Amino acid sequence: MTNFNWLLDGSIVGVYLLATMIAGLMVRKYVGNVEDFLVAGREMDVYLGIASLAATEFGIVTCMYTAQNGYEKGFAGSTPGILMALAMAGVGLTGFVIKPLRDSGVITIPELLEQRFGGRIRWAAGVVIVLGGLLNMGVFLRTGGQFLVLVAGLDVRYLEIMMTVLLIGVSVYTILGGMLSVLVTDFLQFVVMSVGLILVTILILMNVGWEKLVTTVETQYGAGGFNPFVNSTMGWQYVLFNLMLNLASVLTWQTIIARVLAAKDTRTGRKVYTRTSFFFVCRFLIPGIWGIAALATLGPVANTLEAMPTFLATAVPAGLMGILIAAMLAADMSTDSSYMLTWCSVIYNDILAPLRKQPWSQRKGLFWNRTIIALIGIFLLLYGLWYPLKGDLWTYLGVTGTIYLASISVLLIACCYWRRANSWGAAASIIVSAIIPVSYLVMEQVPATAALAKSIGPYYSGIATYLLSGAAMLVGSLIKPASHVERIPANV
Amino acid sequence: MSKHWFWWALSMACVIWYSTIAIYVAIKGASDIRNMLARLGKDRKPEES
Repeated sequence: MTNFNWLLDGSIVGVYLLATMIAGLMVRKYVGNVEDFLVAGREMDVYLGIASLAATEFGIVTCMYTAQNGYEKGFAGSTPGILMALAMAGVGLTGFVIKPLRDSGVITIPELLEQRFGGRIRWAAGVVIVLGGLLNMGVFLRTGGQFLVLVAGLDVRYLEIMMTVLLIGVSVYTILGGMLSVLVTDFLQFVVMSVGLILVTILILMNVGWEKLVTTVETQYGAGGFNPFVNSTMGWQYVLFNLMLNLASVLTWQTIIARVLAAKDTRTGRKVYTRTSFFFVCRFLIPGIWGIAALATLGPVANTLEAMPTFLATAVPAGLMGILIAAMLAADMSTDSSYMLTWCSVIYNDILAPLRKQPWSQRKGLFWNRTIIALIGIFLLLYGLWYPLKGDLWTYLGVTGTIYLASISVLLIACCYWRRANSWGAAASIIVSAIIPVSYLVMEQVPATAALAKSIGPYYSGIATYLLSGAAMLVGSLIKPASHVERIPANV
Repeated sequence: MSKHWFWWALSMACVIWYSTIAIYVAIKGASDIRNMLARLGKDRKPEES
């Protein structure tokens, strides 16, 4: 059962989709070369950057997991958002890593790594980034479809068709306009998404009430629903792991970094970070409140991931339902377009281009970028939509994310601030950060080691990955003979 | 409210801050887009063959 009205809500969604497509296609004429396509000619200013970053980093998949955190952990489930906001503000204020990165004038992180560690490390880093990023993104489409089907009360048979049409629309404007289309549509999507998020939250606070939300969390989780350190499923290890994970994301997640690289100067990039930081608290707490409201209204349910959309289907009235669905479509489209463009930029810039002796002409470069985006779109359809993922989605996301984040954050920090860092350390760090999370996942699946993996837990395993990846960089760099140490370029 | 003042204050801050910043960014962001497209239009060169 749902309050979705096809005439009223369907019209709101239709108008939003039409406006987005028109806006995305209109700016394609400004794309003259590869730099325009990948980093919008480095002309992005602060407020456009804030809108784009906020829209990109809030997709339906984010909303689903943060609401699930609220449902399962209470208010304490918003802890990762607070940690990410602190990391974002700290990095923006100090310019830690992002200043030398933007000053270097590169398009992607591996391009900077090449200046210190050589071409092979650039290529390996590019592969790790693309693998981690694409595998991570592979599950976005289906999760987004699940939300829309539940909220709008659609027949589940239409999920694949609906998400395929949506992906084709996003791909068309991203292929034609690149980062320029992404920025302009992100802006529109930020506005629509914000209206929907704010209105639904106010409605929930008015109808369910703050006292009921608090009482529900107290009854279900006690003090652990408010304090992560005393929550039986969280503890200090959860907080420390999330601190490391969020700091690494802020420093190296290519879709976040892309906004710094597209900024018109370093100061603008830092401002975008500082002024967007509090959004990351909202990103966890607002859907978290929706999740708690679902718990207060529905009580315990078998599938906690579906609790929030099931609750919204009847809690949100017609009219507002159209705005909510348009907001969630906006969130999903902005994330998909930015992610497709970002991974395309790494494939083109760091995996394909270094293999060529002669650089491509601008026309051929644009052609290859557009082809790669189309191929990423096909991959998403085949992998994420038509091939249902088996197993625990959260573990899957954690593993794929950590493989990338641990090594690349260590490489980037060492590249910018440690003169003794070299290619041996970089290679060791990449290998270690891939082995630990994958080994943990394998141990979980093998009966003989499953108990050991359970006793270690994902948080200790994650903390170990970051620490040992850093140690590998240290040891690898120090054992390389001095005569083999690479020359440090002037701009690093 | 007084017992869990931290989460109450943070939740209210989210709603108020987000509402305010959304309006502000909507106005200033539109201006950023106009300026960005004007600069790109001015500097635009034909695609290389």
